[in-house]
Amino acid sequence: MANVKPAASATWSLPRVRSHPEAASPLMRWSVIVLFGVFTVVSLYPMIWLLTNSFKTDFDLFEASWALPEVWHWENYRRAWDFGIARYLINSVLVTTVSVSLTVTVSLMAAYALSRFRFRGQTAFLFFILGGLMLAPEVSLLPLFRILQQLGIYNTYLAMILPYVAFGIPFVTFLMRSYIMGLPRELEEAAYIDGAGPLGVLRNVIVPLSRPIIASAALIEAMRVWNEFMFALTFISSEDLKTLPIGIMSFVSALQTEWTVVMAALVLSALPMIVLFLATQRQYIEGLTAGAIKG
Amino acid sequence: MVSRMGRRTNLAPYLFLLPAVVLMLVFVYIPVIESFRFSLFKWNSFSPEWTWVGLGNYRKLLPDPIFWQSIGNNIWYAIISVAIQVFLALMLAALLESHAVGRRLSTFFRTSLFLPAVLAITIVGVTWQMLYRPDTGLINQVLHVVGLDSWTRAWLGEERTAIFSVIAVSQWQSLGYLMVLLIVAIRAVPRELYEAARIDGAGIWRQFRDVTVPGVRETTLVLVIITVVGAFKVFDVVWVMTAGGPNHASEVLGTFLYRTAFRDDEMGYASAIATMLFFITFALAAVQLWAGRSGKDA
Amino acid sequence: MSASIHSRRGILKLGLAAGVAAAAPVALGGRIAPAARAQEQVTLRFFHKWPEPEQIAFYQGVIDAFQAENPNIKVQMDAVGDEPYKDKIRILMASGDVPDIYFSWAGEFAWKFARAGRALDLTSAFNDTDWKDNVVNSATEPYMWDGKLFGIPMRINAKFMAYSKAKFDELGLSAPTTWDEFLAVCGAMKESGLTPISFGNQFPWASSHYVGDFNAKLVANDVRMADYRLEADADALFIDPNYVEALSRFKSLNDEGYFNNSPNGISHDQARTAFIAGRSGMIYLELEEFVNLAESPMGQDGFGFFQFPSGTGGAGDQKLITGAPDGFMISSATKYPEEAIAFLKYLTLPKNGKEYVKQLGIPSASVGAVTEENAIPQVVEGVNQIAAASGLALWLDTDMNTKVVEAYLPGFQALLTGSKDPQGVMDDVHNAAVEAQTDQSDQ
Repeated sequence: MANVKPAASATWSLPRVRSHPEAASPLMRWSVIVLFGVFTVVSLYPMIWLLTNSFKTDFDLFEASWALPEVWHWENYRRAWDFGIARYLINSVLVTTVSVSLTVTVSLMAAYALSRFRFRGQTAFLFFILGGLMLAPEVSLLPLFRILQQLGIYNTYLAMILPYVAFGIPFVTFLMRSYIMGLPRELEEAAYIDGAGPLGVLRNVIVPLSRPIIASAALIEAMRVWNEFMFALTFISSEDLKTLPIGIMSFVSALQTEWTVVMAALVLSALPMIVLFLATQRQYIEGLTAGAIKG
Repeated sequence: MVSRMGRRTNLAPYLFLLPAVVLMLVFVYIPVIESFRFSLFKWNSFSPEWTWVGLGNYRKLLPDPIFWQSIGNNIWYAIISVAIQVFLALMLAALLESHAVGRRLSTFFRTSLFLPAVLAITIVGVTWQMLYRPDTGLINQVLHVVGLDSWTRAWLGEERTAIFSVIAVSQWQSLGYLMVLLIVAIRAVPRELYEAARIDGAGIWRQFRDVTVPGVRETTLVLVIITVVGAFKVFDVVWVMTAGGPNHASEVLGTFLYRTAFRDDEMGYASAIATMLFFITFALAAVQLWAGRSGKDA
Repeated sequence: MSASIHSRRGILKLGLAAGVAAAAPVALGGRIAPAARAQEQVTLRFFHKWPEPEQIAFYQGVIDAFQAENPNIKVQMDAVGDEPYKDKIRILMASGDVPDIYFSWAGEFAWKFARAGRALDLTSAFNDTDWKDNVVNSATEPYMWDGKLFGIPMRINAKFMAYSKAKFDELGLSAPTTWDEFLAVCGAMKESGLTPISFGNQFPWASSHYVGDFNAKLVANDVRMADYRLEADADALFIDPNYVEALSRFKSLNDEGYFNNSPNGISHDQARTAFIAGRSGMIYLELEEFVNLAESPMGQDGFGFFQFPSGTGGAGDQKLITGAPDGFMISSATKYPEEAIAFLKYLTLPKNGKEYVKQLGIPSASVGAVTEENAIPQVVEGVNQIAAASGLALWLDTDMNTKVVEAYLPGFQALLTGSKDPQGVMDDVHNAAVEAQTDQSDQ
């Protein structure tokens, strides 16, 4: 399974190292362009459709959902914003940031232990953690619900964060363990000789070397947490704590008589992630490519 | 060397593992065991009394047609997702990596196909619900324009099409994501293998079959496992788009469980569904791991 | 227990009529909350199913006024939509984290809370104070369980068939008063190329309103009540052939092409938009939705309504209207019962009822709230018709044990797609009812 590492370590890290010696035939080239052109239209058009219709009135959506809006109804956005999307966004950012930081930290520690030490029960611990990969969160839903109540954290941020971290650990640990196993040991040895302890080695050697995998794992986790629906639906009841996926359901049901306002709200909620992705894509690729050479 | 470090830091690995183990114990493993215990009782959210029913919930579950309907839908989900998100994605990845198109264009295609993956599932679900609308939705209008009026239907409202319409949305959202993962895997395949194949006169297809496919075998195996287990865990997109309807036609285990727990208020029965789901996903993953491993040994 | 308000306890009329608002609102000035607790800071959690911005604005206004009068009480409001509310309130019950004041549909949905001891008995708080003078008493009936009152109605709602005046005029039609006339109207529309009825059944509560009405008018009232309450003998539950007839009539509307294509594929709101856009002649609507029509391009003068003549010749009561009060209950686990009562009492004051009607266009259950000054004529007329009816047949999907409902609702969708026939659905309902009855007797 070690080969998985490069894949997972680099969602966006596409090392651009290769030149391509032979040029493809024009027929081949055009077939690929047409094929991917179709896929691109299918991928993008629903989003474009959402965007253009979010500026219409309900009536136009009904009668002319293809056309560009005749009048651009910016007030749809005003109304959607007034409904309080900002609150959901802030909650999502908060929950995602905290969950991802915790998951990465805890997993890195576990991965370090599992890849750089020999100790009794090592295999058992490895299976204990990786076993979590196979578990559907649904299985834990009802018991988790009661455990969160008993801990007194039902309907708090922690009710989302702690389960997110617990369910994120297996995959992230798996990624990081593979990655660390591929790292050269010389720097660690040198640090030990200089009198560093395991924690110092982790902090000063492993963490800097593992930046690429940390970045990739954080991204994968961020996407998972950002979109998580079931726990957020069940473990949160206050409007003030809802994350975006649940908040969207709130405004869909609250504004259901105004579909184009709902659409504006959807666009507003989608925008941050799209912008973030488009803006950081290149940096991730560069940063991770640099890391990938070391790895 | 390793042993020296190990001696010197006897407790260290345990301390490093502690947070992960505690979190997983409390929030992952204890709930799984609890779930089994819960399934042995009849209880609901209102009454404090729990009635011991032993395996009664399972006896009721096994002949329940909705249970089998759900499993059937999960199986469809898994088959289609593996075919599209893994195998079609692999072919697309290989095509993009074959340098048939220039770098700019290939980056554009990759980014475009990836983009749906960054959208929250509720955004996707609600958007597609509108696209599927029988009267004003885009799908039927496209069919109308290209003269396929007889194909138009209430995609989410008909028992035959509901689950497939939802599955299609999942493919739309995840195809690009898995394609990118596979592109990275392809780039990790040693270049020399391709050159050697070319020298042997292998064309695009044979390079794909003889070099790419074996080269990304491990990644593919993991992605297949994740996709299949994911297909059995699916809840959100179905709940948002159809809530399992019409007439349970698009019910999957996740929605069946949620509905049983929080609509019908039969917590014990829902726990039995959860336990069955646990066995199913666990068995599937185990079988695939075993198959993958024995395939490697052979 | 009675689902239609008039059964068993004799006929009660809902004295809501707009003009009948004789009882002058009792002026309630000053503090309502007990002075003894005035110092303690109290937070009440209030949870309902109206997250629409306009609704929130109304409730927030009342809360602000209430807090101003009772500085020691803070009311914290949360709301989710109609459909998610059904899950969310159960989740909250299961969590033990029950809001102090929560919404409940009338009938079985409310009694379930009462049976499980999760709702506060409000009988004396209501009857022994001026509260009873502020709220239309007959609307409290579906919140009574075991002779005690567990909920206070906030508003009153009923289902009518709304029609487009333009389409009716165009085709020379008039409001039908019998089932045959109704079918004739549908037939005429269909012939002219117009979809007769807009219908969105993506969430199948929409068909439960149709079928509830058919049941109420086709099935003898005592039989229906014994079935809904699961009080009939197990063998006899839901076996009356008139239930099959009810489903057959419902199905025939679809089979004849009187509904739009694929009702299961669109939501009720989409159907209403289609009706407003002139794509159909009629739609089965709640009284509270009249305001949506009035504010739409259709306009206040663009639509009329009539009672759905669904059961002509049937064994049920033809003077029933399908509808129900919507109200609030107080958690039995609340730490602040007196404050919660004080808030609920304040919320249902006639002045707030009037404000409710004025701001939202929805009939309030407070005495004398609907008047010609604050409501459109159709709403006033609707309220009058409710008052003249022999009673309300409660919403089918909240007036039965959830198990029976969960057998009924998917059955409606299956009827529309043709994958089940009426007898098949009733067989499922019968089986679910037998099981639910066994469960209930276990407890």
